[in-house]
Amino acid sequence: MNKNKTISIRDAFGKALVDEGKKNKKIVAVSIDLKGACKLSYFFENFPERSFEVGIAEANAVGVATGLSFEGFRPFVASFGSFITGKSAEIRNSISYNNAPVVIVGTHCGLIGSDGATQSALQDLTIMRSMPYFNVFQPCTPLDTKEIIKYVCKTKEPTYLRIARNEIPEFLNKNHKFKIGMPNEILKGKKKLIISSGAMVHNCLQAIKGLKNSKYGLVNISSIKPLNRKVLIKIMKKYKKVITVEDHSILGGLGSVVSEIIAEDNLNIQYKIHGLKNGFIDSDIPEQLEKKYQMDIKSLTKIFNNL
Amino acid sequence: MSYSSDLSNIRKSILNSIQNADSGHLGPSFSCTEILYIILKKYINFKNKNRNKIILSKGHAAPAIYAIYNHLNLLKKNELNSLRKFTSRLQGHPDKKKLKLLDFGTGALGQGLSVSIGYSLSSRLLNKKNFIFCVLGDGELQEGQVWEAAMYIGANNIRNIITFIDGNKFQNEFSIEETLREVDLKGKWESFGFKYIETNGHSIEKLDKIIKDVTDYKYKKPVVVYCNTVKGKGVSFMEGNNKYHSVKKLPLKQYNMALKELDEQK
Repeated sequence: MNKNKTISIRDAFGKALVDEGKKNKKIVAVSIDLKGACKLSYFFENFPERSFEVGIAEANAVGVATGLSFEGFRPFVASFGSFITGKSAEIRNSISYNNAPVVIVGTHCGLIGSDGATQSALQDLTIMRSMPYFNVFQPCTPLDTKEIIKYVCKTKEPTYLRIARNEIPEFLNKNHKFKIGMPNEILKGKKKLIISSGAMVHNCLQAIKGLKNSKYGLVNISSIKPLNRKVLIKIMKKYKKVITVEDHSILGGLGSVVSEIIAEDNLNIQYKIHGLKNGFIDSDIPEQLEKKYQMDIKSLTKIFNNL
Repeated sequence: MSYSSDLSNIRKSILNSIQNADSGHLGPSFSCTEILYIILKKYINFKNKNRNKIILSKGHAAPAIYAIYNHLNLLKKNELNSLRKFTSRLQGHPDKKKLKLLDFGTGALGQGLSVSIGYSLSSRLLNKKNFIFCVLGDGELQEGQVWEAAMYIGANNIRNIITFIDGNKFQNEFSIEETLREVDLKGKWESFGFKYIETNGHSIEKLDKIIKDVTDYKYKKPVVVYCNTVKGKGVSFMEGNNKYHSVKKLPLKQYNMALKELDEQK
């Protein structure tokens, strides 16, 4: 993949699903009048007979996908993460309670821009990690997205994919493979460890590069659930200070995941959670939002430096 | 052929399993007994891998579907006695993970018709010529998702789903009339593109005839069958009495009276 070319995560998702759809006839798609925005449209164009538009009816989409999954299909239901995970009662009772092999794709997660809070998924991880049997994945680059889609198409667990609309240049090694549960050590450091997921990994990486200091480590967590605790603990033990960075509510997101591990294992680490506080985000262009919520490279540099 | 002996035995099984569990939804299990019985007895062959499906969207009537499975020798001996017990396959509301016979695990109302659509689309992709029977409660129609599903079925003219409404006129707390009055149910379904048929939900012959017609593709539209039923059907002091919607163990005298009445219906 061309290192200089940026591609949005949602675009990478849409294209990867078409690639897998060519190989696997059991993959089907359910759209909720947002296939263009979610990039499920690529699948619809390539496989119209395996694509179903239910209209603006998220609850029905969850049920339709459940029925398809019972007959051996691997349905992908895509919508804005805020809308689809808002149907938590339907996801819980139709998909989770039945352990139905449905994939829910929530796009427009985090600091999406001018459309504002109603369209932005900010609590989706909190909801979805609590669902029994569900895997929860969040890719950080286009290549990571492609690898995750490949994995998800081969497996049968109910899965939530948190997909950003941010355009992100590829920074992972071209041989990168997704391994379920495994934290992905991008930079090895000595004193301070940054842990992030999704679109924010790129900002963290840029901020650390700007610091020109080898004491910072960076871990990407694409497999939020399940997460291999032992491996993450082994990494964290090499550091004195740890901070998590996420474009999601700090109540139940990545910060909560890591703090549960730190608390349960009594790790002697100074720990900070950096994310969205108890509230909704405002409307503005993503660059401004990143500044306001201190997720831009400059703010992150300052936060890491002062850690 | 007379079905009265089978139905009497099934209702006794429902009563006994709930009595043994010390709780359960008696009234709404008795109201849909005939509907579930004819579907399962005549229209589902569990040995056929392309078989028809049944979704009990009103999952609280679980004791009824379990008792019919038992009647058809699909459960283990005495398994009905494990209703609502830890590790049992017969959970308080149907659990497909534990009881593989089930086509969908339900309990939260409003979700079954959407899953029926998923089954129907699967059949189309797999070239299966089967039918999906979905049984809703009349109170359940207050759930918005039912109408999302109905809109899809009507718009796409899906004819291999048969929607049954167990019209027992009551819901958890009060009657439908007192809670949220139904206005022109027939008109509602028809405007969504359905053929609306009203029938006696306790008449096996009438239900059978309707199902036969639909499975013979007599109608050009998706069919919804509104079944006039009686909550607590089969036991005089329970009929139309919402006190028996969800019960604890009945006092011995009441239990014996109920058993006696059911026995007399053989």
